[in-house]
Amino acid sequence: MMPISAFRIFFQTGAWAVLAFLVLPLLIVIPVSLTDTSFIGLPRDGLSLQHYENYLTDREWLSATWTSIWIGVVVASLATALGTAFSIGCWFLSNRASQIARWILIVPILVPPVVQALGFYRFWVQLGLIDTYAGVILAHTLLALPYVSISVFAALANLDRNIIRAARGLGASVWQTTLAVVTPAARPGMMTGFVFAFIVSFDEIVSVLFITVRGVTTLPKMIWEGIQENIDPTIAAVATLLVLLTLIATAIGALRRS
Amino acid sequence: MTHQMTEPILSIRNAVKRYGSLHALDHVDLDVAAGEFLTLLGPSGSGKTTLLSAIAGFVDLDDGRITLHASDITKAPPERREFGMVFQGYALFPTMTVRDNVAFPLKVRKRAASEIADRTKECLDLVQMGGFADRMPHQLSGGQQQRVALARAMSFKPQVLLLDEPLSALDKKLRADLQWELKSLHSQLGVTFIYVTHDQEEALSMSDRIVILKDGCIQQQGAPGDLYNRPRTTFVADFLGKSNFIDADITGRHSDILHCVAKGAAFDVQTDNVDEIGNKARLALRPERLRINKPGVELLAAKVSQVSYLGERCQVIVKHEGLGDLLVSCATWQTGIKPAPGLEVSIGWDQNACVVLAAD
Repeated sequence: MMPISAFRIFFQTGAWAVLAFLVLPLLIVIPVSLTDTSFIGLPRDGLSLQHYENYLTDREWLSATWTSIWIGVVVASLATALGTAFSIGCWFLSNRASQIARWILIVPILVPPVVQALGFYRFWVQLGLIDTYAGVILAHTLLALPYVSISVFAALANLDRNIIRAARGLGASVWQTTLAVVTPAARPGMMTGFVFAFIVSFDEIVSVLFITVRGVTTLPKMIWEGIQENIDPTIAAVATLLVLLTLIATAIGALRRS
Repeated sequence: MTHQMTEPILSIRNAVKRYGSLHALDHVDLDVAAGEFLTLLGPSGSGKTTLLSAIAGFVDLDDGRITLHASDITKAPPERREFGMVFQGYALFPTMTVRDNVAFPLKVRKRAASEIADRTKECLDLVQMGGFADRMPHQLSGGQQQRVALARAMSFKPQVLLLDEPLSALDKKLRADLQWELKSLHSQLGVTFIYVTHDQEEALSMSDRIVILKDGCIQQQGAPGDLYNRPRTTFVADFLGKSNFIDADITGRHSDILHCVAKGAAFDVQTDNVDEIGNKARLALRPERLRINKPGVELLAAKVSQVSYLGERCQVIVKHEGLGDLLVSCATWQTGIKPAPGLEVSIGWDQNACVVLAAD
């Protein structure tokens, strides 16, 4: 057996402390969501599910949730289709121009969100896309594209380039080669990209605040406005549900992999 | 040559391919006979892979023409050429089972499902992979993957199979086994094989004809035995097997026998070469054509300087006063002597052992 050195205890404690620092602020929403008061705070006389009830019956909260979900799915689908096509195209070419194109596509990750949002705002005004679903979907698709293309590139990185030659030599056209040989190999990256794209859209707030007014309300925007206008603990209930949902999804993912 | 060139299945005329100032293919002409096992042999950068890629349709020629059955395919896309192709890295489709890999060319051609199933099974059985149909490529060893790749390349019954160093990634023993299998597959199927390799042993053991390339030009071509025994240039004599090179003066000619002298040693060489007396000639002498013996038995006295024991053979470097170091390769059981560094020996050769080379 390995001797337990002071060194090791020090680092293990340190690691757990960092982990706690990361997770505890997330977990604080759980007791707050169960509060029996009508403002944000810890439970006083007992636990209550009233704020969950409020969330699940309130038309505005539900509508904002639904909006975020369907926008997320549309964005994820669009970004996955476009990002995959882009990545496969670059993989086929794999020349200098495609290298440069890859870098340009990653720029949205590097630019500060506020700058990006300002850009969207100026542009969307001219295009008449302010306060429309199409405007939000377009902006989110642009933001999600780099994530899809990065994960598809990763999936294709180890694919033997000779399989294009093999497929074409065996009688497949470029199009058949792409569909039957390259796309299946890209599938793991596409799935990861889809999930990332959905998450990017689902919790994006900066651009939404810039390019929507009253017509479009997503869940993050609703939470943001809720905190500003009143301090309704329903926000904590929503946050708790989101944390739980994430935990469940992660657990399913981890179980399927093992 | 075993195959008569009455009607070549594939003809390449004046093929030119340049990469910048480099000539990957420099005016290459080549005819391939139906059913032939043709090997393109050369060191890296010799143009052999470029030539194969041009035949397959992956490289556009700058000049020249490729015809298949007398129809021009120079500009045809690869999928129209109907060649099976096998790669060094196997290039199996990673997301498909072995069965689907082999069925791929048939599915692309929209054959009937029953025909696809029959033909796929037939091809897998032919390469002894019938029991692996449901495996994924990554579950197979290199040799097994290459067998599947072969089955896939044959499944649509192409008339020509293009093989790009298919055995180079395998270990030595497996490579030797697969050489036999490829050879027997070739004679069973009657398909034309165009095989690219840098490995001279592979080329010698399998081919009907070897084409030796260097710097984008064909140096020499012929049956393995002809090439090995009658190399025309220093490059060929050195690349295909090993050779001792001797620069000699031509001193006389007697019908087809050329008399040469080099540093105290006389050589009689059988040749149809018409070099003039007084000219220089470069001779190649294969190590296994040299005999090593006790002092005084053979023509020249020499001294052993190094010995390398290889089991069935023994390679000995001997030093002759005038000719310098000579490599001798002899069967260990044949020599009456035990070569060791410092030992005095004599060396000799038969009259037809030497070959006169053209200037490079």
